[in-house]
Amino acid sequence: MMTFITPRLRKPAVYALAGVLFAAAWLVRGGPLWWVSIMAVIGTAVGAVRLYRQGGTDTDEGARAGSRADERQQLISLRSRALACNLAAVTSFIGLTVAIAVKATWGWPFLVTFLITGYGYLLGLGNYGVAEEGTPDDADTGRQKHSPVS
Amino acid sequence: MRNRVREQRTQRGLSQAELAAAVGVSRQTVISIESGRYLPSLPLAFTIARFFDLTVDKMFDPDDGEEGA
Repeated sequence: MMTFITPRLRKPAVYALAGVLFAAAWLVRGGPLWWVSIMAVIGTAVGAVRLYRQGGTDTDEGARAGSRADERQQLISLRSRALACNLAAVTSFIGLTVAIAVKATWGWPFLVTFLITGYGYLLGLGNYGVAEEGTPDDADTGRQKHSPVS
Repeated sequence: MRNRVREQRTQRGLSQAELAAAVGVSRQTVISIESGRYLPSLPLAFTIARFFDLTVDKMFDPDDGEEGA
């Protein structure tokens, strides 16, 4: 679906979609705080326009916002996301540990976050080829019976 | 790792933006490569070397001792 949207519009579109969903959640919830959904829509519109304008600038942030990042900018983004995930895992573990210690009932979101980050890490190892060791060639299967150092 | 990107670029009278457009990266990445803060991937190293009609080992000197990003 994203390929039908021009690169510069992709991030603002995702941002706008997330904002609309957030606003809709407040609207569906109803009650005296329904006006939060209006604020969320306004905030989303402002943020999406700001993201679109940033996408046109000649900076690293502009390249990421405009979905035209090169390999270095993608690497920076990847490292930042990895750091964010590490922080989420550590924070959730601390939260879970504290919740257990004080016998709190609010510990389950920490457990869910910790399990998701842990499972996501294992999923990444599987998806990105750590398990694919490949088949050994002739030199490793028979012809070379002893270790080169023995 | 030392490289000759800046030297080759200035010899040919190119701006960083022109080189960036020619090899398909951002101007900021050219600046990072020239200053040694970023080591390009192998495909990008080949693209840069070929653009200047040099081999990769002539363009990037691994014997300089310093490690990049």
